[in-house]
Amino acid sequence: MRSAKAIFIRQATDLFKNRLVMVQYIIFPVVAFIFTEMVAKADESIPDYMFVSMFAAIFAGMTLVATTAGVIAEDRENKSLRFLIMAGVKPHEYLLGIGGVILAASFLVSLAFALMGGFSAANFARFLTIMMLSSTASILLGASIGMLVRNQQAATAIGMPVAMILGFGPMLAMFNTTVEKIFSFFYTQQLNVVANDFTVDLTKPITIVLVNIAFLLVLFTVAYRKKGLSA
Amino acid sequence: MIQMTNVIKRFGSQTVLTDVSFTAHTSQIFGLLGPSGAGKTTIINILTNQLQADGGSHTIDAAPFETGLMLDEDGLYVRLSCLENLNLFADIYGLPRSRSKEVLESVGLQDAAKKAVSALSRGMRQRLALARAIINEPKVLFLDEPTSGLDPTTARGIHKLINGLRERGSTIFLTTHNMDEAVKLCDHVALLHKGVIVEQGVPKEICERHNAIKTVPDLEAVFFKLTGAELE
Repeated sequence: MRSAKAIFIRQATDLFKNRLVMVQYIIFPVVAFIFTEMVAKADESIPDYMFVSMFAAIFAGMTLVATTAGVIAEDRENKSLRFLIMAGVKPHEYLLGIGGVILAASFLVSLAFALMGGFSAANFARFLTIMMLSSTASILLGASIGMLVRNQQAATAIGMPVAMILGFGPMLAMFNTTVEKIFSFFYTQQLNVVANDFTVDLTKPITIVLVNIAFLLVLFTVAYRKKGLSA
Repeated sequence: MIQMTNVIKRFGSQTVLTDVSFTAHTSQIFGLLGPSGAGKTTIINILTNQLQADGGSHTIDAAPFETGLMLDEDGLYVRLSCLENLNLFADIYGLPRSRSKEVLESVGLQDAAKKAVSALSRGMRQRLALARAIINEPKVLFLDEPTSGLDPTTARGIHKLINGLRERGSTIFLTTHNMDEAVKLCDHVALLHKGVIVEQGVPKEICERHNAIKTVPDLEAVFFKLTGAELE
């Protein structure tokens, strides 16, 4: 745990110095706020939380995948990860350190979304729970992409389309039942369902998200062991 | 101690190391000399388990956390300061953060402690990479071309530091294509050419064997005599 804490501190320091990544965290809540204030509140047929749920799902599905992949690909490309591995850092410690900071940042963003949505106490907790679980899955997916690609450029080239498919897939699923069936196995679809319908039973969505997390955790561990030292 | 016995390494159909054997004893500076592409970095990568050999064996009498590493690609975090880079490794090794300041001072970078790595010169980056490599007072230290591209003053400072580490009991394995550096620093050297060790021993004795002592031992002349190749 000592190494995880050390990497957490390093990643948090680095995040504050990396304005490009910071912008990606701030942009979605800001856009959601503008849409909520200017469109949703002006039109009574649109629920106040509609844009909050929509942008929260895009944030969890896209931003976190892309930024995690970028951070890890950067560590590999400039060989920083090689020195961590040589110092005895284990895959779970590296992931806890990097992922912990991104998850903490995601929690703050999710909190901003939840406050904007004006949810009741129960729905507030539901929303945060599914956001945190989906964020965990996205971080693991981004981390695996970051590990498997050759460099940062490739991380963007591969990470962005994957993130877009995951982020926008649930919207496409609203208009096509085949797509809906396929996407029902993905965590972003479950996030979209729960964030837009507060009456849905959480058992199935949470189970699917947890299965996604387990699969992605295995993928990351294999990728770290195989590709951690190479670039 | 670092030992390699009959190590073979191939990349595809190309054999890059052929029957490489040597021993670097405890508290010794062992120099691996050869031109670019001779296989020096491949040997370091095998010794530090970053690459698997295709044959032979190697041993190091130190655990991974007791080794230090300085490679040609420094792997420093460019947005972080010198001190933040060192604090990361002090934290990983469970050392007090005062140790970061100590090693920063030992490489003469105390005035650049809060400077971002991206703002450092090449020489300063190399010294910071060395500081990171020695932060845990390693039993075994691997240095890949530690003074390559540095001005003579900075190089001399690094030589002094390396000698100090040897005196404190570290075994140092360094690669270089600078024969003067090898003669001045190393207790034992191996000359590597196209993946084959063509000669090894105490630098002065090697030069004597090959009649290459003029006013000072001339390893470069020995290398040229044995391989017909220039070092650069």
